[in-house]
Amino acid sequence: MPAMFPASGVEELVRTGASCRVAVDVNPGFKSGDAVRAVNINPVTHTRLPLYVRGKRGVVVEDRGVFVFPDTNAQLKGEKPQHVYSVMFAAEELWGHGSGRKDKCYLDLWEDYMVPAKE
Amino acid sequence: MNGIHDLGGRHGMGPINIEPIEPVFHAEWERRIFGMFILAFAGGHFNIDQFRHGVEQMAPAEYLSSDYYEHWLHALELCCKANGSLTDDEIQSRMKELARGDA
Amino acid sequence: MSSKHSHEDHQRDMALRVKAIESLLVEKGLLDPAAIDKLIDLYEHKIGPRNGAKVVAKAWSDPEYKERLLKDATSVIAELGYSGIQGEEMVVVENTPAVHNLVVCTLCSCYPWPTLGLPPNWYKSAPYRSRVVIDPRGVLKEFGVELPDGVEIRVWDSNAELRYLVLPMRPAGTEGMNEGQLAELVTRDSMIGVGFPKARKGE
Repeated sequence: MPAMFPASGVEELVRTGASCRVAVDVNPGFKSGDAVRAVNINPVTHTRLPLYVRGKRGVVVEDRGVFVFPDTNAQLKGEKPQHVYSVMFAAEELWGHGSGRKDKCYLDLWEDYMVPAKE
Repeated sequence: MNGIHDLGGRHGMGPINIEPIEPVFHAEWERRIFGMFILAFAGGHFNIDQFRHGVEQMAPAEYLSSDYYEHWLHALELCCKANGSLTDDEIQSRMKELARGDA
Repeated sequence: MSSKHSHEDHQRDMALRVKAIESLLVEKGLLDPAAIDKLIDLYEHKIGPRNGAKVVAKAWSDPEYKERLLKDATSVIAELGYSGIQGEEMVVVENTPAVHNLVVCTLCSCYPWPTLGLPPNWYKSAPYRSRVVIDPRGVLKEFGVELPDGVEIRVWDSNAELRYLVLPMRPAGTEGMNEGQLAELVTRDSMIGVGFPKARKGE
């Protein structure tokens, strides 16, 4: 229910914030070093999986813990808490054969956005 | 959704317009919409994902050509109409009153 | 936008609409205008990149602080009193001679508010958000920055709730400077990755 947030609460609100982390035990499906592929999903609803990374192969760098899943939360269909991983994608993987530079893009993917990469 | 907001890797967006010294807010209405979004969120009017999706539903041409905080205005209106806090009629009436100096 | 509709007209329309919405929500008891005032004051006058500069200066001065910062940024940054909205999950990424980091939010405008304040317009704009992931060197050039070819560029797209802060390299010739003096060299742009810290003022 929409409520009025009072002025007296502003300083504490600003200082403590509103974490999307969920304190629930979920078994991680991936770990650092795993080769993964971002799924090719194209929902008409909200997602935080950008077009440029879908279907691309990357490597898990870090498990960041368990967070609310935006794709379901935006539709009020539940928090569906799951692990978020920082995943490294090589520039050449994302954009095609180029100058051979070593550049990389790192994105934070919810587990639902990832599948193991087949060798 | 595959909206225009999903900008990574697109070409043709033009040079980056770097304002050397930029105020935090460029207008009073930007200040107010900033505060309103945070407090409506903190007051449970919508969750952050609903709000972001609200921005994503802007018409592409508008999204690209508008000032940043217009994105927040669009999303705030969308979310408030969705949760029943506001209607289009109310907003239009109030704007007319304010323009006439009645309110 | 119609040529008849000037920039001033548009600004006036925005102001009117925002005023209408605020007055309606306040009347309905859904928003507290004093709370809005308080928030504006905090982000316009109190929370800004000087916070992040202090974190960087401390990391430059104190190797133990730096080591902990790179492992658990959120709580280590909070030791200096910076925490909260849009900084609940911090990650600090370190620039080295071999690696240069850049931060973006391609999908919207996510940015580490407690350490850097609110983002500049260019950070939230289509040109930056579209180009930095595909042509980071081109973007750096627009900011007057050039990196040697061999440097690996890492672009961090803040598409989830993690917020990234770049720890720039400490400028040469700054031995003996205290944290306060070092903090003055740290620019906001160097903590996003589109610039370097200032050089020590010449003797």
